[in-house]
Amino acid sequence: MNHFKIKDNDEAKKLMKLALSAGETLLKNGAEAYRVEDTMERMCSSRENIHNVNSFVTQTGVFLTFEHEDKTYVNFRRVRGTAMNLKRIHLVNQFSRDFVFKNISIDEGLNIIQDINNTKSFTRLDKAVFGAAACAFFTLMFGGNLRDFIASYLVSFLTVLLLNITTEFKLTFFIENFLGAFLASLFSCITVVIGLGANLDKIIIGSIMHLVPGVPITNAIRDLMSGDSLTGLSKGMEAIFSAVAIAFGVGIVLSLYMGGIIR
Amino acid sequence: MNFLDHAYQLILGFFAAVGFAVYFSAPLESIFASGVAGGLAWLVYYVILKMTGNKIIGTFLGAFLAGILGEFLAIKLKKPATVFIIPGIIALVPGAGMYYTMFYLVQREYLQAAIIGSETLFMASAIAIGVIVSTIFSRSLRHFRKMGN
Repeated sequence: MNHFKIKDNDEAKKLMKLALSAGETLLKNGAEAYRVEDTMERMCSSRENIHNVNSFVTQTGVFLTFEHEDKTYVNFRRVRGTAMNLKRIHLVNQFSRDFVFKNISIDEGLNIIQDINNTKSFTRLDKAVFGAAACAFFTLMFGGNLRDFIASYLVSFLTVLLLNITTEFKLTFFIENFLGAFLASLFSCITVVIGLGANLDKIIIGSIMHLVPGVPITNAIRDLMSGDSLTGLSKGMEAIFSAVAIAFGVGIVLSLYMGGIIR
Repeated sequence: MNFLDHAYQLILGFFAAVGFAVYFSAPLESIFASGVAGGLAWLVYYVILKMTGNKIIGTFLGAFLAGILGEFLAIKLKKPATVFIIPGIIALVPGAGMYYTMFYLVQREYLQAAIIGSETLFMASAIAIGVIVSTIFSRSLRHFRKMGN
């Protein structure tokens, strides 16, 4: 065990800020609730004169409290909007480990967290190119042919790029998913109508794959099973509503297509 | 023929996982490994589906393998297991089930929609259970090793 100490009130407040920032960064980038709670608790209790560390994390906020000498510190952060970023999760994880075992000053830590929040590993174009490729390969995996592959690539590339623009307006996840699914299935119908794609269902399945909340649903069920019921429920609800939004988007286009309006 | 088909599916799964690893901004040095995990998980699902015709058990075993590989790679490459597990399981996510549920709802074939919808739900739970079981499995394995030493 190490013997790093927190000197005074000011430093304790900064520690609170640091741990909350680390937790917020984790949660914003798609980490599971137990990882966020664990990271914050470890970071605080690594300092010798910090006691009774408790954290509570839901899908929409992180809460943290600890005692330093005879004072109790309580604070929380509201977290809005999550987007998957595995690199930042990895970096915060590494930083929290360093922080526990090395004597990193808290100001330094705050700078590191800020740097982590600003790291960009891939540009939007990279993401669109690779995300579209992934979707196109899904079309093949579900039994599409080469024409469907090309159609699905074009459709999902266009959809990802357009969705990048709409995220600027900070719409809610529901509208974004709805719009994404709507555009993806509309473009898919167009590729079939102009004769590029062959199997409409395979193209749509591939193209909506980057929207489908598979990871949130999995994480939600994991949270529920490990006892974080509130997080699991809220995350699961969000995932179910994303799925409903996608289903609406696809459903509208499908019913138009089958009704013979888009032909 | 069979071997070629399996190799083809492995490659498809690999590229799908690599694409999603980039889409989820995974660290550069982990992308190849998560691609391999994704490819193998998809291959297991595919083989089990062909053998038994049961999607749910295939999904479970695929997710289990992805989880085990994730825990293993996490130790080898010193990164949290999530970095490998998330691109690994993405191929198993029942996007097709969601689509067909909606398709049948639009056509007002509610019985078909209920059948496929419930299967989709079970597949989603199977992924989660597979990952959890693999986490518990690898943790207890580590525990036993420590006791052995």
